[in-house]
Amino acid sequence: MQTLIKISWRNIWRNPTRSIVIIIAIVLGLMGGVFSAGMRLGVETQQFEETVENQISHIQIHHPRFIANPESHYRIEGGAQMAKKIHQMPGVAQVAHRTVFDGMIATANMNTGVRIKGIDPVKEALTTHLDDLMVDGTYFEDNGRLPSVIMGHKLAEELRADLGSRVVLTFQDISGEMVSASFRVEGLYSVTSLRFEERTIFVKANELNQLIGDKTAVTEIAVVLENLDQYREATDELKKLYPHAEVRNWADMAPSLYYSMEFLHQNLAWVVGIIILGVSFGLLNTILMSVLERVNELGVLMAIGMKKIRVFSMVVLETTLLSIVGGAVGLILSYTMVMLLNIRGIDMSGAGGEGMADFGYASHIYLKVPPALYYEIGILVIGFAVLAAIYPAWKAIRLQPAEAVRQE
Amino acid sequence: MKTVIKTTNLEKVYNSSVAPVKAVNQVNLEFKEGEFTAIVGPSGSGKTTFLNLIGGLDKPTRGNVIIDDTDISSMKESQLFDFRLKHIGFVFQAYNLIPVLTAVENVSFVMLLQNRPKEEMEKRAKEMLEQVGLSDKINVRPNKLSGGQQQRVAVARALASKPDFVLADEPTANLDTESAFNLLDIMSKLNKEENITLIFSTHDQRVIDRARRVITLVDGAVSKDEYFDK
Repeated sequence: MQTLIKISWRNIWRNPTRSIVIIIAIVLGLMGGVFSAGMRLGVETQQFEETVENQISHIQIHHPRFIANPESHYRIEGGAQMAKKIHQMPGVAQVAHRTVFDGMIATANMNTGVRIKGIDPVKEALTTHLDDLMVDGTYFEDNGRLPSVIMGHKLAEELRADLGSRVVLTFQDISGEMVSASFRVEGLYSVTSLRFEERTIFVKANELNQLIGDKTAVTEIAVVLENLDQYREATDELKKLYPHAEVRNWADMAPSLYYSMEFLHQNLAWVVGIIILGVSFGLLNTILMSVLERVNELGVLMAIGMKKIRVFSMVVLETTLLSIVGGAVGLILSYTMVMLLNIRGIDMSGAGGEGMADFGYASHIYLKVPPALYYEIGILVIGFAVLAAIYPAWKAIRLQPAEAVRQE
Repeated sequence: MKTVIKTTNLEKVYNSSVAPVKAVNQVNLEFKEGEFTAIVGPSGSGKTTFLNLIGGLDKPTRGNVIIDDTDISSMKESQLFDFRLKHIGFVFQAYNLIPVLTAVENVSFVMLLQNRPKEEMEKRAKEMLEQVGLSDKINVRPNKLSGGQQQRVAVARALASKPDFVLADEPTANLDTESAFNLLDIMSKLNKEENITLIFSTHDQRVIDRARRVITLVDGAVSKDEYFDK
């Protein structure tokens, strides 16, 4: 075996230019595959984190009619107690209860419709990490005369509101009467989704509840699980426990994200597979050429008694060694590429990145390549290389020694 | 003397588009241990086909090839690989060394396929290279050797594993006179010293002059079988 490896290795370098070209092809193929996979996984991860982790959480519970009519009238009976109980359930990491409904926000310049979220700042920080999304001002630290509101950077721009500006919120109380109250802009947050940023504002739940006339009002409970993979089971369990409430998980709330992730996982395997298949054909061509150039030599090997299985193994080994060299170099360079590109992220603003934000995509993409993907791609390259070697190896052992030794 | 090879009614017919061609026709021959035989004849007389048949590289259409009491004409392909490896040494016209191996690795190669111990292989390979006058070229690859030197390495390779006989297909055809004589001297010496049966196909008079037996083939059949006292 040792000699076979030695011969195969030396055979590879008989035509160094050709071998280097095919190694470069493997390297570029791998880098293309890793880049493509990393880009797609990066976009998916960023979008998931943005939408699920920072906005909707893993599971939400509402009054059954709240989804169609997001008003303070549709509150969850005993919502605060329910949130406490859910928090004690196994597998639940965080729970936040909110008072959420639609209303109007107005400045001296203009007004617009918004979703008002009355939150417990501490619980919200643990659940959606809203405090980490702040880009200006402070996060419910101001205890001034007017209650605080945190709004999206984009909304502040539209309303021409600055930090400290006074805004008026108008909404219905629990009896359907219109209520207006003044708030002061304490902080601005920013997320990738501009739609969320220009439509969602946050105030303290206790202050909002006082205004709507129910100090214990809860219209939304957001649940974060310890293990996201358990979201279906957890949803089913909550549905059983609270049959009169509307329990929805992130896949129900963001179906387009869910389907794009499902599609992505299948699509990714195809993209990487096709790239590697393309490289394998290049490899097949190279090895086939090398076999056809060595007809005489292979004939001699078989004439002097080298068994076909050894000749076959030698050709397969040549391909395998080439793919190992190309694969190792390719994976090292791919890893380096990912590290370098992730220092600043890939700026997509020139390719319509700003517009992409309207659909929840970030303008800077960070490649995401799990370590397992490197191993998988490495194994795939070697696997495909071995498959690509079968035909040339079969051609080699089909040679008739008596004829082959006489060929020039 | 012991009979190493015996052919009985040996025939090889090739089917061409015009008519079947008998490349070897009813050949009945015996080769004794230690013989130095030249198979001669014009181009197309069947010399190479005959060597291929007795070397187990090709199968006869009719007749038998018996080597050491074993009929190789009925052997399966895989059995023939083993048989060639254990019993036959080959020297080809175009040297046909493995270009990626050094001289000593080339000489060791057949023994390596026979799974001989490493030390024995190295000792024997170096010994053989010394016998063919190439002890200073042990670690040189074929592309750095002259044609004559390459053919001497090929001879060393063929003899290193101590086969029952060596088949050489026009081994001097590509060599200049000096290299050819040198090679023939070496082969004659090894034939005598190691008592190895040598069978050449050739139309090189220099080889014919050294042979102790000359078999002439015409149209695939034996037309003359002469012995010379040398």
